[in-house]
Amino acid sequence: MKTHGTVARLHGMLESRKISCTELTKVYLSAVGRDNAALNAYVKTTPETALETARRVDEKIAAGQPLAPLEGIPMTLKDNISTKGIETTCCSRMLRGYVPIYDATVWKILKGQNAVLLGKTNMDEFAMGSTCENSCFGGAGNPRDPGRVAGGSSGGVAAAVVGNLAAYGLGSDTGGSIREPASFCGAVGFKPTYGAVSRYGLVAFASSFDQIGPIAQSVEDAALVYDAVARRDPMDPTSSGSRGAVSPALGKDVRGLKIGIPKEYFDEIRSDVAQALQKAAGVWRSLGAEFVELSMPSVKLGLPIYYILACAEASSNLGRYDGIRYGYCTPHYADRDEMVCRTRSEGFGREVKRRILLGTYVLSAGYYDAYYKKAQNLRGAVVRTFDRAFGECDLMMTPTVPVTAFKKGRKTEDPVENYQTDICTVPINIAGLPAVSLPCGAGKDGLPVGMQLIGPRFSETALLNAAFQYEQAAGEAPYRVDGMGVRL
Amino acid sequence: MVTKQDILKIAELAKLYVSPEELDGLTDELNKMIRFADEVATASAGETSFDTVNGLENVFREDVPRPCSGREEILKNAGSTEDGFFLVRRRR
Amino acid sequence: MKYELVCGLETHVELATKTKIFCSCPNVFGGEPNTHCCPVCIGLPGTLPTLNRTAVEYAVMAGLATNCKICPISKMDRKNYVYPDLPKAYQISQYDMPLCRDGWVGLSDGRKVRLTRIHIEEDAGKLIHQRGSTLIDYNRGGVPLIEIVSEPDIRSVDEAIEYVEKLQMIMRYLGVSDCRMEEGSLRCDVNVSVRPQGSETLGTRTEIKNMNSFSHMTKALQYEMDRQIDLLESGEPVVQETRRYDEKTGCTEGMRGKENAHDYRYFREPDLVTIRVTEEMLAAVRAKMPEDPQKRLARFTAGYGLPEAEARLLIEHRRIADYFEAAAKGLRSPRSVANCITGPIFARLPDEPAKDAFRVAVPPEGLNALLRLVEAGKLRGNLAKSTLEKMLDTGKPASAFLSQKDLEGIGAQELKKLCGQAVRQNPDAAKDYLGGKEKALKALVGAVMKATRGRADPQQAQKLLKELLRQ
Repeated sequence: MKTHGTVARLHGMLESRKISCTELTKVYLSAVGRDNAALNAYVKTTPETALETARRVDEKIAAGQPLAPLEGIPMTLKDNISTKGIETTCCSRMLRGYVPIYDATVWKILKGQNAVLLGKTNMDEFAMGSTCENSCFGGAGNPRDPGRVAGGSSGGVAAAVVGNLAAYGLGSDTGGSIREPASFCGAVGFKPTYGAVSRYGLVAFASSFDQIGPIAQSVEDAALVYDAVARRDPMDPTSSGSRGAVSPALGKDVRGLKIGIPKEYFDEIRSDVAQALQKAAGVWRSLGAEFVELSMPSVKLGLPIYYILACAEASSNLGRYDGIRYGYCTPHYADRDEMVCRTRSEGFGREVKRRILLGTYVLSAGYYDAYYKKAQNLRGAVVRTFDRAFGECDLMMTPTVPVTAFKKGRKTEDPVENYQTDICTVPINIAGLPAVSLPCGAGKDGLPVGMQLIGPRFSETALLNAAFQYEQAAGEAPYRVDGMGVRL
Repeated sequence: MVTKQDILKIAELAKLYVSPEELDGLTDELNKMIRFADEVATASAGETSFDTVNGLENVFREDVPRPCSGREEILKNAGSTEDGFFLVRRRR
Repeated sequence: MKYELVCGLETHVELATKTKIFCSCPNVFGGEPNTHCCPVCIGLPGTLPTLNRTAVEYAVMAGLATNCKICPISKMDRKNYVYPDLPKAYQISQYDMPLCRDGWVGLSDGRKVRLTRIHIEEDAGKLIHQRGSTLIDYNRGGVPLIEIVSEPDIRSVDEAIEYVEKLQMIMRYLGVSDCRMEEGSLRCDVNVSVRPQGSETLGTRTEIKNMNSFSHMTKALQYEMDRQIDLLESGEPVVQETRRYDEKTGCTEGMRGKENAHDYRYFREPDLVTIRVTEEMLAAVRAKMPEDPQKRLARFTAGYGLPEAEARLLIEHRRIADYFEAAAKGLRSPRSVANCITGPIFARLPDEPAKDAFRVAVPPEGLNALLRLVEAGKLRGNLAKSTLEKMLDTGKPASAFLSQKDLEGIGAQELKKLCGQAVRQNPDAAKDYLGGKEKALKALVGAVMKATRGRADPQQAQKLLKELLRQ
């Protein structure tokens, strides 16, 4: 079995002493210094932390101690994952200068494994957006074409990974925020089952949708990262951990695999994206997989259901930003109420404010039943629809996004139009299912198309195994832009 | 349809200040979003209900004290403090 | 026209758990500001609540002790509002599916005050308002509370007080809270309305807040009742509002401002999972519960043969009742234990809090041992009494004060000798007695008791003295 994993390759280089961890880290840091301006993937670099960790790893290597799979590997975290002592801004003016006093559980785990943190990466403010342009630091550019968006909200992670400025990164996904930028930039983006990975330390956007997951240059890398961070966390009562390690199970035959095609997902997609998926179907067939047509009309309501519930939760989660205990505070006010209102209005960007207002509206007296309660009931219907559909197939396949990466600045003033990019990803968060986006060919503009594979809850092993088999057969990994970032 | 007055009321609940310049545009945008949300309001749902996404129950923490963060850490990110308290000035 | 009071209470009780409700910070009183905090209870971005098992158990206990139905399924909800003492801008509470429902508390006249519900929630921090600024301390933010809501079944000021006292007794007995109004571990908001006696419809009610003691509550309730009756009698309506009790004036006053209209936008707390109270959980909680105070009272009167008034004094505080039972083990006369408690021990406990804490220098085994000596006839009652006083004062055991000699009785010969000595040494008393003053005998008995350091049997001494004097 060929290995296309960047992480595994770097791990091998470290263990065989082809390169020291310090040298490896310096190579990445200098690439970031050189190439980040074009991409604006990183909003903060942490060279001291990185080099200190690298030194520790080199000591271990010198002492002849074996390295864990992720040990010494240069990586990045989306800037909504709390890092103790390192500024965590969520790319919002509201949290500029905020330095957490605790680590997110996922970071605590990776730190304990000597992951080399190169810095924090760009995102849509408070994870609200699909292009990374809603960032107070300016948007991230797509390594395939920096004049185009990297996608969002984990745009910075995707750009860094595909641009060879990190071997992998952790992003977060609430309505598609890992999968969509992975699709736009052409990388593997994996959102685990809701509850597989701890949310403790992830700055909350929508609590019952948010999940942390890896963006990487191959399925194998994503599996290694997932295995490291997926566990039940006593600090997160909604976490249940994983059902078993994925990496050791990669490589199993997928002959006879039944892949469901929910036809409603293909209604609004661009013809070249549809074509790319047709080609992908050919690869699946060569692997012995079969296709089953499904009908899931309820997914049409996915977007409004998602926006009602996610904005409602967000309006509550973001209530705490008042300038008193942390974060931005307005410089002038006449009374406390004005202080809070001005702080929030000046600290939050436009999209965040809109979503808070919508969320407040759908929860308010007189509207709660028609919107929030109704959306909750419909959510239950979506869950059951997926459960029933998985009775007829093992996995589902859809496009990740109906289009390829568009030009920066194309976002319109109609927020609803902007939400349409999420149409294929959002139902998965509603149902809490695991899903992975894999590059599958290119659109007519030469930009990556993403194929989304969806599994039943806690089917990570089967899901990533299938993705791995496809990747091996398609032969296009590792997913990265040559001529950018680190060349090793 | 929400009016500008409605937007101001919602903004007051959400503790957001909407400037006169922003109000028109924001009202317009919110109306688009609410029309979008109306698809849910008008859909037929049936009696299905929703509990939690992963069906967990009875996840408790044992009543065992752990060390606190220490006051310096707790106050570290605050804009104003006084004698160990968080401070909010009545006006600035 | 005669009016009657219609009153219901919302009572918040701080639970005496070791940690806060949603984080592992210690649940302790006092301390320098912001020293009992962590990222979770100050609501730092990214933090999540974890529900304290003991808080749920204590709430279930409170429900069981007040005859509630424990709801098999319940959940937590967010109550959204902005105030500086609430770090997340929402309070995690329970809205439409509380832990307990439909209970009752019995009053002494046999009436019941029905409880609508009991639910758990977190407390807020503390604000100190100064001129020009507000100081915030989050030490108490996140302390577990139960909110006990009663139906408007209360019909007099006395009943209201009795209801709260009953709740106090129950909660203290269970050990789930020390329920002190002055310290804030018990807080009451009262809903008050009046109506013509005999009417079935409810009048407009007001809510009164900020009563920090029973005397405040009494005054506030009386004032508000009178105020509402005056309004109605002058043909004016009662305005539904929240009112504040002012202890300086003894009046309630309307609270101006937007406190009266809140849209809390309740929705299910997505960070916490469903609470399913199983039969196993209920059984485990019941096993931890102490005996119901009413049952204990019956046991003390019927079982130990104590008069009711005395039994009530003992069962009023659980520690006292526990002490009594431990000290009474194996004694023929448990009444003597009761006397020691209500006498010299209570004399050293100046107030209710002291009685509740019941810190006594003598362990129950020590009192038991002392009283066994009396029952065995080895120790005279009055020597036992004075020894007990010394034990209570010093914390030393009986053996520190009693010598071998003290524990022996006085032989008949020696007693006769000492009686004769007493007569000789107190000729005036002897003469008075012989002259017809019966009381003078007491002085002679006293002299004998003194000479024997209380070891003599006063009845015997009296008998012997009478015989001697007749001669």
